[in-house]
Amino acid sequence: MAEATVSVPLEVYRFQPGRDRVPRYQRYTVELTPHTPVLSALLRVRAEIDPTLSLRYSCRSAICGSCAMQINSKSRLACETPVGPEIERHGRIVVEPMANQPVVRDLVVNQKPFWDRYESIEPHLKPDPDHPMPVGRPTSMSPQEVERFHDTPRCIACASCYSACPAVGADPEFPGPMALAKLYRFVVDPRDGGHQDRLVRIQASGLWLCLRCHLCTDSCPKNVRPSERIRDLKEMAIAVQGATEAGSRHAVGFKENLKGAGLLNEMRLARATLGLGGFAGQLGQGIRLWRKKPEVARRPHPIEGMAELDQIYAALDKGDEK
Amino acid sequence: MPSHEVVVVGAGLAGQRAALAAVEAGRDVALVSKLHPLRSHSGAAQGGINAAVGAEDSVDAHIFDTVKGSDYLGDQDAIEFFCREAGPTVVEMEHFGTIFSRSEDGALARRPFGGAHFPRTVYAADRTGLALLQALWERLGSERFTLYDEWDLTRVVVREGAVQGIVAFDRKGGEFAEIAAKSVVLATGPAGRIYAKTTNAHSCTGDGIAAAYDAGAALKDLEFVQFHPTALLESSILITEGARGEGGLLKNRSGERFMSRYAPHVLELASRDVVSRAIVTEVAEGRGFSGPYGGYVNLELMHLGEERIESRLTEICDYARRFAGIDPVKEPIPVYPAQHYMMGGIGTDIHGATSVPGLFAAGEAACVSIHGANRLGGNSLLETLVFGKQAGLAAAAHAERASAPSLRASDLEEATAPLRAWSSRKDGEDPSLLRAEMQQAMAVHAGIYRNEADMLEGLRKVRALKQRFENVRVVDQSGVYNLNLTDALETGHMLELAEVILVGAYARTESRGAHARTDYPKRDDARWMRHTIAERSPDGPKLSYTPVAVTSYQPTERVY
Ligand SMILES: Cc1cc2nc3c(=O)[nH]c(=O)nc-3n(C[C@H](O)[C@H](O)[C@H](O)COP(=O)(O)OP(=O)(O)OC[C@H]3O[C@@H](n4cnc5c(N)ncnc54)[C@H](O)[C@@H]3O)c2cc1C
Ligand code: FES
Repeated sequence: MAEATVSVPLEVYRFQPGRDRVPRYQRYTVELTPHTPVLSALLRVRAEIDPTLSLRYSCRSAICGSCAMQINSKSRLACETPVGPEIERHGRIVVEPMANQPVVRDLVVNQKPFWDRYESIEPHLKPDPDHPMPVGRPTSMSPQEVERFHDTPRCIACASCYSACPAVGADPEFPGPMALAKLYRFVVDPRDGGHQDRLVRIQASGLWLCLRCHLCTDSCPKNVRPSERIRDLKEMAIAVQGATEAGSRHAVGFKENLKGAGLLNEMRLARATLGLGGFAGQLGQGIRLWRKKPEVARRPHPIEGMAELDQIYAALDKGDEK
Repeated sequence: MPSHEVVVVGAGLAGQRAALAAVEAGRDVALVSKLHPLRSHSGAAQGGINAAVGAEDSVDAHIFDTVKGSDYLGDQDAIEFFCREAGPTVVEMEHFGTIFSRSEDGALARRPFGGAHFPRTVYAADRTGLALLQALWERLGSERFTLYDEWDLTRVVVREGAVQGIVAFDRKGGEFAEIAAKSVVLATGPAGRIYAKTTNAHSCTGDGIAAAYDAGAALKDLEFVQFHPTALLESSILITEGARGEGGLLKNRSGERFMSRYAPHVLELASRDVVSRAIVTEVAEGRGFSGPYGGYVNLELMHLGEERIESRLTEICDYARRFAGIDPVKEPIPVYPAQHYMMGGIGTDIHGATSVPGLFAAGEAACVSIHGANRLGGNSLLETLVFGKQAGLAAAAHAERASAPSLRASDLEEATAPLRAWSSRKDGEDPSLLRAEMQQAMAVHAGIYRNEADMLEGLRKVRALKQRFENVRVVDQSGVYNLNLTDALETGHMLELAEVILVGAYARTESRGAHARTDYPKRDDARWMRHTIAERSPDGPKLSYTPVAVTSYQPTERVY
């Protein structure tokens, strides 16, 4: 027995900067079964109604990260979002490009800034002079060590988190949730030689700009949970360095600005300056602990800097309550 | 006009590995891709990559399994080279940062895969392709090269018998442009969208294979098309062979493990062509299930237990739940075969060299031939890396010797004149309509089982579609991200290749590997142990044949 179809009312954002003066929403209606993904609905529109509609897509199986867009105001992968529940909940399906990225045309956004911020965390293994790769054979790594990556290897760089993140919009130097989850992946990699420098650098360049709103984790189609990994990075950074004054001041100031101005996207924070010298000596210990035996370095065991971290969180959370 | 010593087209595993090799050889390299590199279809590979790294396994066993799997059409010298490179290649990828799954002793975990004597498939959960693609992009990303991100190759320019560069469409800029090059490497991946049901991504349209054909390069063995036995019904999304490797069972309507009748020794783990034909036969003979999306059989995982299913087959669970509304922990997954892999492609030697000087190819777009008439699971990820590197090295070496390329404004003019006609005509057909008709025709006339009358009918349909394509119309008048235009470009490419597949399959009067003819059910080594070579001519594909390289293994009957 064939499944019954429903009428799917789509309202799709159409805009080409330089050609169109303002964006408009175009309505299309297609007949589809409720479990059909939004991507298939849009492709049906392209094939049967309007071949000028522009979007990114490829794998149709939630693995290439091409088709992230806002569906009824939430960043999602169109290829794995069925039309039925959207219609039930909202009565229609409003499809818009992701936020925090300039529109190229219709649902296609310019991802260069997204990739540039990703590059800013130096996303590649750095040689570890103390532990060179074994010659002619793979590095030995236990299943437990693999588990330490959590779900970060599942990231498909769809930029849903980047679209959902208020800090990305507020500060061009914030690397964004995806890049930070990627950074975490290198910091916990036993093969990487750059972990300490990575943590020190990130404290100075944006780690504390994360507001812990968890919108990245909410929007992630692959369950990477960037906000949890950012929390881990903060703990690890403090374990090797202590919360730097500039970093924490910046974080609090950022929160204040947010609260006061309420103009997230226009806001531009003054950059906190941070001296990077004078830390090198005592950094190794905490992070090595983390990488080898996470249960020792993690809460609830008190570690150095933890109190400061909690103070910062408390300060930030108090801000939330007002 | 931009100019580079080496232009690599395609940024999946094969293209990235080629680019890395050419960069390391000191050449000025450009990487041109219609998708951002991390969005390439290599990322969709689930099951794993083969390397005989286990103590009980050996390179010789890998060689033998690959030769046998190829139904003796693979070139044995190339297969020997390939299998010897497997270990070092996987180790290199591990050192680049690939996060592989591990066994308790800290070694690379391995799973059994179809057609292999030992568990030989190294994996990263069920997202091996993604893990490799991430690691390679991380490694390549720390080198200097120029990325042309979201540029579609439309032509390889060959003059005076040598490559001069390419013409490509810049999607975001909305313009066609030339890029001069001494060497061009085509690593544009699969062509599965020629078929109605395929596990391949929408972007897998064989552009590079068609461009090579257009430029005069010889295509090889294009009639050998692999169908994966287990795809989800409606979307044809792949359920990896890893599911059977982990212990998944195939059952028909009466609950019988029917593979016991087709491959009594290895059952579900028989080679793909064997399993695909078994499923098609079960359904055709009324022992399958039927539903709104056609006939099917069941793939059962339930007996493996929730924990094992969730941890070892995470992605598959996601797929089954999201795309088919099936919970594999509780119920069987309905599956049916779908097009999966092209064994054939641009003919190359083991250095990636094609029949055109300066033009190289690697990955699924190429045909060395390692896979012969049938590819073994886990061998193609390996192929992209082993031969991507070789092609990159050879392209770099060629660029060092070659004289400066000469592209002219007229090259761009000539390459784009027909495309401008598509956009300026006032009536004509939409490319997506022609594409859909071609996909149906190929599914029916050049599918899992083939015969003369069917294929003739298919050829007639495809030639009629090619005629209609002359009058294709692009209504979208904007240059920027004009998918109507890229649709038309891709459809034109696929129609060329569809014709080559049909002509080659029609001529090959035997059954071998994935090419199964009901009118010639036997393998015919005396006549057909040779490669099909197709070259473009004004009257369609011109066929010729070359011998298969045999070193150690004489052909015997292939039983599992
Ligand atoms: C669902 C699925 C699962 C698989 N699982 C496995 C497995 O477990 N093990 C295994 O060994 N193999 C597997 N395979 C096969 C294997 O993944 C592919 O053969 C291999 O990844 C192909 O890699 P490639 O680099 O040749 O092409 P791709 O990764 O497809 O890359 C092609 C590149 O070319 C670019 N391109 C295409 N056309 C153009 C153009 N006109 N202009 C510019 N750029 C262009 C694309 O943007 C892309 O970057 C699987 C295949 C599928 C479909
Ligand atoms: S199309 Fe690939 S993630 Fe949706």
